[in-house]
Amino acid sequence: MLAFESLHKRFDDVTALDGLSFGAQPGRIVGFLGPNGAGKTTAMRCVFGLVTPDSGSVTWNNKAIDEPTRLTFGYMPEERGLYPKMKIGDQITHFARLSGLAAKDARGAAERWLRDLDLGDRLDSKLEELSHGNQQRVQLAAALVHDPVVAVLDEPFAGLDPIGVDTMADVLRHLSAKGTGIVFSSHQLDLVADVCQDVVIIDHGHSVLKGEVTELQRSSPTRYLEVDVDGIPWTKELTGVASSAGNGRHRYVLGRKANIGPILDQAARDGEVTRFSFEPPHLTDLFREAVRR
Amino acid sequence: MNSIQRILQLAKRDFTQRLRSKAFVFSMLLIVGLVLIAGPIIAAASGGDEISVIALVGDQPAGSDQAIQQQAGLLNVDIELRHLPDLASAETALSDGDVAMVVNGTSELVFDKEAAPQLAAVVSGGIATAQRQINAAEMGLSASEVGSLLAPVQYTERTLEPANSEKDNARQLAAFVALMLLYISILIFGQFVMMGVMEEKQSRVVEVVLSRVKPTEVLTGKVLGIGLLGLIQVVAVGAALVFTVSTAHLANLDFSGIGLPLLGSLVLWYLLGYAFYSFMYGALGSTISRQEDMQGVAMLPVLMILPGFFLGQMALLEPDATLARIASFIPIWSPMVMATRSTAGDVPVWEVAVAIALIVATTILLVRLGGRIYRGAILQTGKKTKLRTAWRSANH
Repeated sequence: MLAFESLHKRFDDVTALDGLSFGAQPGRIVGFLGPNGAGKTTAMRCVFGLVTPDSGSVTWNNKAIDEPTRLTFGYMPEERGLYPKMKIGDQITHFARLSGLAAKDARGAAERWLRDLDLGDRLDSKLEELSHGNQQRVQLAAALVHDPVVAVLDEPFAGLDPIGVDTMADVLRHLSAKGTGIVFSSHQLDLVADVCQDVVIIDHGHSVLKGEVTELQRSSPTRYLEVDVDGIPWTKELTGVASSAGNGRHRYVLGRKANIGPILDQAARDGEVTRFSFEPPHLTDLFREAVRR
Repeated sequence: MNSIQRILQLAKRDFTQRLRSKAFVFSMLLIVGLVLIAGPIIAAASGGDEISVIALVGDQPAGSDQAIQQQAGLLNVDIELRHLPDLASAETALSDGDVAMVVNGTSELVFDKEAAPQLAAVVSGGIATAQRQINAAEMGLSASEVGSLLAPVQYTERTLEPANSEKDNARQLAAFVALMLLYISILIFGQFVMMGVMEEKQSRVVEVVLSRVKPTEVLTGKVLGIGLLGLIQVVAVGAALVFTVSTAHLANLDFSGIGLPLLGSLVLWYLLGYAFYSFMYGALGSTISRQEDMQGVAMLPVLMILPGFFLGQMALLEPDATLARIASFIPIWSPMVMATRSTAGDVPVWEVAVAIALIVATTILLVRLGGRIYRGAILQTGKKTKLRTAWRSANH
């Protein structure tokens, strides 16, 4: 397990990490969520020794991460970038070599990954000749070419179009199914809700909520009820029931064990109930609750 | 893959990527080409040192050829004699520029446009000598009597000031070229390192690299790869230079025996000077991420190395002057000044050894210093990082 253990880091007068702890298991996808500036990038950089924490540590299977171990990890930094004028086949081979693959294995791995990412016919293209989306795929190949045991991806979905998001999600699920542990950060929760099994939500440098997504949802005391009557959202004021509105939706906020029968009966008296949902909080709701914004 | 293998892999990338750049290959070929044609051009411009072909037609006294060659030797003129069947063919050769002068029997010297008094003196002197030998033999004088009768008066020469010998002149010229080559190579390839570091920071690829490799390994790999490229250029240009000086016939210059020591000194001091300055350039490159900031930070090494160029020119003329001697020990200048001194004059081995020891020691210090600044600055994007900030943020 990759464990972040009580990380603290200050940059001059800014506290980036303030006791952050969480873990990432092999074969599981951890969404590392938090508002901008919460400390996500700093925490990820700590895994690769790019930032040294003031106190606390990142460990792998309860041991400090030494150099050979680190080379079995994959990293995609938030700031994208590769060599613009280098052929992508050569480029990914280079990174595979730096990760410790032998020369012939490196070339093979580079070609396999680029083929898997639909870039098999562009091996001899320079990076700058590719479209933005394809450059992102090359970036992913650079992070994963050595088949890491853990992949740490900083904002992998940023800047992707919906198809790119699907491709990225597929790659992550595929990797996870093969046993790779994945930690990825994001601040776009609606994008990642379907992808991660575990979440860590951090704010001001420490985690405010963490656990299995379904478990967090199930154990939340809150449930949301939405009702459509005659095809439009039903917005009647109900005594003793809070509601929230936004984005054309009207949600009643109830307790987990609330009895919704009487409410639905009341709605039915106003017209035909065309839709209703009684759900635990979405990831977005959990996030908002956790960071109170 | 251990640290050295990783450094070599990084060096290989920098080396091959730049070697594939057409601009680099083209500029190197251009410089080598210029050096190769410089010899013939200087020779042509300085004139007088070409071999003049003299055509002979008609009858000359027996032994004329030998006597003319002897005379040419005395007057220090390079000539070649060619016997042609008749005047008409000789004149054709003359107007074609194949020969410089036609000797018609013993009566007439023919030139194309202008008379060449020196050639005329060689030929008339030679033929006169040959004729006198025949005359003397007819008078019944023995060979030794003829020899002493016709022996030229031999003066020894002396100057009041010790003149530069042809060898000294040649060494000064070679040292000057070496000085230029070192100055330019150290600056150019040092700046390549700075640009390379800056580009990796600018394109953000450096974080991908640094997740696998230590910062000092990245910097060392870059210095090594680009340095090798520079070494190839120095060796290529240096070899072209040696070829030029050892084949060109330049008046008043004797390059014999200079070639290999020159090349050796070039390579040695390029490597030492480049290693010294490239780590400085690399550290400076890590503090910037925009092309516009490059001019500013590049000034520091230029200002440091520039006095070395002028001190080198002083050392050229007086390799043993006190200032030149002192400067040749100071690491920021020694690559140029010591190289110049030891090419232009004779420097005791211990002085060279001390200069090498000093620059090596300083370079080791600079590697640690530069490595730390690089480590502290390379991930700080945005505006230029102050050296002090970089130094402190690497403090863990």
